[in-house]
Amino acid sequence: MRPWFIHLIKLLFPPQVLLPDIVGIDIGLTLSALAIALYLTKARRWGWLWREWLTTVDHKRIGIMYIIAALIMLFRGGVDALMIRSQLIVPEAHFMGAQQYDEVFTTHGTVMIFFMAMPFFFGLFNVAVPLMIGARDVAFPRLNAISFWLFAFGAALFNISFSIGGSPSAGWFSYPPYSELQFNPGVGENYYLLALQVSGIGSIATGINFLVTILKLRAPGMTLMKMPLFVWSALVTSTLILFAFPPLTVALGLTMLDRLFGASFFTLAHEGMPMMYANLFWIFGHPEVYILIMPAFGIFSEVVPTFSRKPLFGYEAMVISLLAITFLSYGVWVHHFFEMGAGPGVNVFFGLSTMLIAIPTGVKMFNWLFTMWGGRIRLSVPMLWQLGFIPTFVVGGASGVMLAAVAADYQYHNSYFVIAHFHNVIVGGTVFGLLSGMYYWWPKMFGWKLNERQGRWAFAFFFTGFWLTFMPQYFLGLEGMTRRMASYPPGLGWGGLNAMSTIGAFIMGVGFAILVYNIAWSRMHPEWDTTGDPWDGRTLEWSLPSPAPAYNFARIPEVHERDAWWAMKQRGETDAVKLSPDQVEPIHVPKNTPMPICLAVSFFVGSIGMVFAWHWMAILGGLGVVAALAYGSLEDDTDRELDPTTVLNTEKRLGRVHP
Amino acid sequence: MQEKKHEDPTLPGESVEIPLLAPHLSTPHFPARQIAGYVASLILTGIAFFLVARHALPLSWLLAVVLILAFLQAAIQLGVFMHLREGRGTTWHLPIIGLGLFVGLGIVGFSIWIMLFKSGVS
Repeated sequence: MRPWFIHLIKLLFPPQVLLPDIVGIDIGLTLSALAIALYLTKARRWGWLWREWLTTVDHKRIGIMYIIAALIMLFRGGVDALMIRSQLIVPEAHFMGAQQYDEVFTTHGTVMIFFMAMPFFFGLFNVAVPLMIGARDVAFPRLNAISFWLFAFGAALFNISFSIGGSPSAGWFSYPPYSELQFNPGVGENYYLLALQVSGIGSIATGINFLVTILKLRAPGMTLMKMPLFVWSALVTSTLILFAFPPLTVALGLTMLDRLFGASFFTLAHEGMPMMYANLFWIFGHPEVYILIMPAFGIFSEVVPTFSRKPLFGYEAMVISLLAITFLSYGVWVHHFFEMGAGPGVNVFFGLSTMLIAIPTGVKMFNWLFTMWGGRIRLSVPMLWQLGFIPTFVVGGASGVMLAAVAADYQYHNSYFVIAHFHNVIVGGTVFGLLSGMYYWWPKMFGWKLNERQGRWAFAFFFTGFWLTFMPQYFLGLEGMTRRMASYPPGLGWGGLNAMSTIGAFIMGVGFAILVYNIAWSRMHPEWDTTGDPWDGRTLEWSLPSPAPAYNFARIPEVHERDAWWAMKQRGETDAVKLSPDQVEPIHVPKNTPMPICLAVSFFVGSIGMVFAWHWMAILGGLGVVAALAYGSLEDDTDRELDPTTVLNTEKRLGRVHP
Repeated sequence: MQEKKHEDPTLPGESVEIPLLAPHLSTPHFPARQIAGYVASLILTGIAFFLVARHALPLSWLLAVVLILAFLQAAIQLGVFMHLREGRGTTWHLPIIGLGLFVGLGIVGFSIWIMLFKSGVS
């Protein structure tokens, strides 16, 4: 055999990817990919897939694709979590080696933050925001598709690392000097850098897109203070993304220069400064956790009024709290590295600013409780997740204030106390919120509801498992167990708590399995939503049929107050959303285009070239990116017109035309 | 990514101007201003890189010069590429640019304050 070939094989398949379990997963994944390809060929579905989904620019379909991808990533991150917990169930376990353990927790964190939580709420934004503000699409539909495909191929790039070339192992925030070439010579870190960079471009574009959509495309009469709170949360989240992601881009870019081109921004040698990476990363990283939680706040602010049959208590206070959290979240990042020793002045400033955030968050908590107070509460599945969220998030928030006390943080830092804290807020806040939103808007996406009984069981298992998993971890942290330990010796009193935590994690796993079963079962036995308003909702998306037609609103509604649809129902004016045959106008809709997916594929090819330092391939990918952008810029024929007859016929079929 | 300006899909008969984000690029003349701005950005970055890589100045001078170069660079970006000087749609221009300046200056200022610890310990 030729030496270059042997070299290539060694590069692509180092020993760490040849473990029996990984090879088993590789074979399983290849077989399922083949099965799917075979099914698509046999059922002649390739053309349908390309026309209806891969080239679509419809925000509702893009939203659905985001959510499906996010659920797959939730599965992957969840399996990683179960592997971590299996390793820690007893002292000195050998379920995995230390290297593989490092790779698994790195993947768990990165996947859950960047490829599960973010696309999940991007999906819900896409599904709900344009419908809530009475728009026909987002401001830049094609850019929206570009965002999705960049995310999808970024996620794919990150996910192939474990079977080709080796996974990153420096944790989800990937601190140098450990992430530098000197200590981490494989290609795993390169995968991390490139995957986050590619999907980060998509995230920034999504932020811009929703900012413009919300500021510019609201229905007539919908002033900022009449917007639903979920739209407000999308607005502040987009602002946060716009200002928080560039520092991440810089931090990842400089690390890439260090690793691939011999620079020394963060190395130990040549006067590099590793802590500057920590500074840059957390300028992004702290706003990022608010990027994750704000959409959940928004979802709960829709779910609580709907299922309590009351308007939201203290709307203005809710908006002001959102803005206050947005503002404060930019001034707290040093609390992630108090131990660097920047001095008492710096640490006290950032400790105090961190504690301040508890005030607007507390205001929101009380407002949700006061909304429920005296309301007629229905315990549907979205509401259950909300009720589970309140105690969970309060515990997480309170432990966060404990961590903000600088002197005490020197004890908590890097221990399981921190792990328990941030899972309490990210799972108990973000994930509960996203699942609540998924159940809430599911009928709007697909036209059928998810089964309630199975949904309650999924919630019960997930919620119980959650508390059993993470409460013991506070005590483990106080007992001195540090995070990222691949195993621990017996005799420290950690065994029982760790075993409890592992059992809890598997109960959460059962909860997730029930959720997947719930989706599959409800797909097979659909409970159709014929009214378009299954929850007796309050906002404009419920005035449309489920699922909404491609152009959303045949007639753009006029808004006079908050909870516009509820007000229309109260006044018995629901016929106002129907169309008169003489009112029909042609509607402009954007055309499908293959450009976004081609752009993302080019980024993918170029990134593989960068990961393995094959410069010819990186240049090839770069040329592909330029070609796709040029094609997109020079193409003139980007939208088409739906003629009035088509619109009228569609609306007639939906029963929405005045006789 | 420049999206083409198309008929606004939402409000029939009433087109919404978003000059900041969907600029008119159909002007036929050669984009000399943009190319000059691009080259100037490259030169400014090159100067900053050279000064740091060669240790050409003492630390306090270096910091001052790099900050001045950064401000010049930001002005070029805003003026040439971000269409700051185009008049319409200023309702959202000013608050968002103000926020951008506030966050940008805050990040730089705070980072200098935070990372000064190194001069004390190392």
